[in-house]
Amino acid sequence: MRKRHIIGLTVILTFVAFSFFAFRSSLTPYVSFAQAKTANGTVQVRGVLASDKITVSENGKTVKFQLRDEAGEAVTVIYSGTKPDGLEQATGIVAVGRYQSGQFQAEKLLVKCPSKYQGSVKQ
Amino acid sequence: MDRTTIENCLTALLTAGVVYAVFFIVPPAEGLGHLVRIAFFHIPVAWVSVLAFLLSAFWALKYLRTRDAVYDRQSSAAAGLGFIFCILATVSGAIFAKLTWGAYWNWDPRQTTIFILLLIYGAYLALRSSLEESEQRARVSAVYSLLSFITVPFLVFIIPRYYFSLHPAPVINGAGKLDMDRIMLYVLLAALAACTAIFWRTLTWQVDRKRRREMSDITPVKEGF
Repeated sequence: MRKRHIIGLTVILTFVAFSFFAFRSSLTPYVSFAQAKTANGTVQVRGVLASDKITVSENGKTVKFQLRDEAGEAVTVIYSGTKPDGLEQATGIVAVGRYQSGQFQAEKLLVKCPSKYQGSVKQ
Repeated sequence: MDRTTIENCLTALLTAGVVYAVFFIVPPAEGLGHLVRIAFFHIPVAWVSVLAFLLSAFWALKYLRTRDAVYDRQSSAAAGLGFIFCILATVSGAIFAKLTWGAYWNWDPRQTTIFILLLIYGAYLALRSSLEESEQRARVSAVYSLLSFITVPFLVFIIPRYYFSLHPAPVINGAGKLDMDRIMLYVLLAALAACTAIFWRTLTWQVDRKRRREMSDITPVKEGF
């Protein structure tokens, strides 16, 4: 009985490990610029601000900044839309869009905010 | 008053108190502002869904050991409720995501793993309702519930930490420090207690309903959850 349990458990754990490794790349949608360059269609590139310089166009409808991905590659991101709140403070930025002629055209910017569950008004 | 009524009243009182605290006592958070209030719903329902899946597996094991129908009723009721709380966590999470990081759904690792979890426990309910014979149904459900629970630690705790995620680090982690001010922490603890109490009351009610239905029917009926 005990031997059967051990065999069963081994089979299950092997299966879990196998499925984890098989689906490893599917579990995250975030890619680097190197992958974005070869990809067809829309991808999600994640990174951080490469510099503090964020340029907003005069009508406020385009935002331009440098995004540095995990591999250290920095690419100019052009986002057509208003600048999301907290872009400067973001601990992670995900640009959704496609790579076109040396720039990344983003349709959407997702921002990871530093979440501190602290009251904004100090008592 | 009998015990059930007292427990229901206490749960209702606690929940009302928590709702009041979340809207009127909790201060708007730094950065998140008033959106922080969603966390007091989102975190407790997510916690309860993990608890429910754990209990379902625990009672499933007990069923397989004893073959006592009581454990089958408890295990299946817990799995069904876990599924509902998991949906609530997904929906509140998607709303929270839209308001904070900018999209309802972008297949963030957190979202992918909770989606898999919903599929796994959705399949449990489908499997269970497809079996007519009560003993076979109990046995198969118990084995499935036990096996499903093996994936829960991976899907909830390991994989989302392994990848970059837009989801903030969980507030409740034994090792890490607690990045939350005192008032919010107390309200969160109360919210966790209230949500767990609601789950427990609903579970007891469901188990009792299942028992009465099984007693009144001589032939086993097909059941939902």
